[in-house]
Amino acid sequence: MTVGPMFDEWYPVGIFGQLDAAGRKTMLMGEPIVVARDDNGDAKVTDGTGRSLPVCVRYGHVWTSLGDPKKKLFAIPEADQPGRRFVDVGVVRVRCSPLRAVENFLDIAHFPFVHTDILGAEPHTEVQAYKVEIREDVDEVWATQVEFYQPQAAKSASGGITTQYMYRVAGPTSTVLYKTCPPRPSEWDVITLFVQPLAEDLCDVWPWMALFDDDTPMTDLIHFQQTIFLQDRSILENQVPRLLPLDPGMEMPTRADLTSVAYRRWLKRHNFTYGAQLVAQ
Amino acid sequence: MAGEAQNPLKERMTIHGELDADSFVPWIRRHAAKLGVTQAITHHSPDRIEIDLSGAPELIDMLEVGCLLGPIDVWVETIDRRPVGNAGG
Repeated sequence: MTVGPMFDEWYPVGIFGQLDAAGRKTMLMGEPIVVARDDNGDAKVTDGTGRSLPVCVRYGHVWTSLGDPKKKLFAIPEADQPGRRFVDVGVVRVRCSPLRAVENFLDIAHFPFVHTDILGAEPHTEVQAYKVEIREDVDEVWATQVEFYQPQAAKSASGGITTQYMYRVAGPTSTVLYKTCPPRPSEWDVITLFVQPLAEDLCDVWPWMALFDDDTPMTDLIHFQQTIFLQDRSILENQVPRLLPLDPGMEMPTRADLTSVAYRRWLKRHNFTYGAQLVAQ
Repeated sequence: MAGEAQNPLKERMTIHGELDADSFVPWIRRHAAKLGVTQAITHHSPDRIEIDLSGAPELIDMLEVGCLLGPIDVWVETIDRRPVGNAGG
């Protein structure tokens, strides 16, 4: 398997605040890398031959690439908005395709069944029609006007509410969710899923959040998001096939899956196929 | 819902894009068969395919969503649908 155009994209490889000089040994697309701080305290990433890789520190994480990124890392303007709390949730290793991890994050229909009584509950299982597009000007997938009833939409929510969502795919393994902010209805909470592809069927997932929530203890915010993702992990690790199919021949996607279909179309258009299954089997 | 029979729709689906791969027409036929949608391909060229369909509205929706992605060697740009009559009366 060749990595193809995904070689030149940015990927998260660690939490900047947790780095030390000794560094963190990890993998990126099958290549061993070391993520560390240099003598000046800046992040430094080297590959197995000692070659320095491109580095960017943003959204609490260190980002790198095995290739030569053609674009700067995508922008999240809310990351610079005063008053938000930034939450480095940590890392969850998942034995699945990195593309599968992103696709699962985009899927609303599983909420009542996987995150029962938190992000969804029966009988509120219907996904209402919403809008999906590939925005040519920014080359991103966006799903907007998404609404779903949630018993506990966030740690700061005191009861069930109909939550508004917007989903954004900003990179092949990076996605951003904007959702109703219970304590501040005019703003969006930002919850991201940054995925580090270790191999085609193995990834480290680094959720990160930018919230308006002055009350909830940080450990509770982290615990809430980790609980959600650990529920997802058991589903993700049992999906067949392990890789993300770009040909839906063995599946029957519905209108509720339009975000997933748009994501797969976008991957296909860019030939982002590391972690994908090209032909239905 | 249980006990609620759906009238089958008759629609013409027009697919535009880069469709010159030999794989797509048989792929559409297979996908329609799995969904239980009756299909007849009335036009096939490298940039346009037209299909007459008959089936439950939700299943035709699902065929459209599946075709939007399609096999790896085609690129579907747009899909248009229009009714061509009501088979259910």
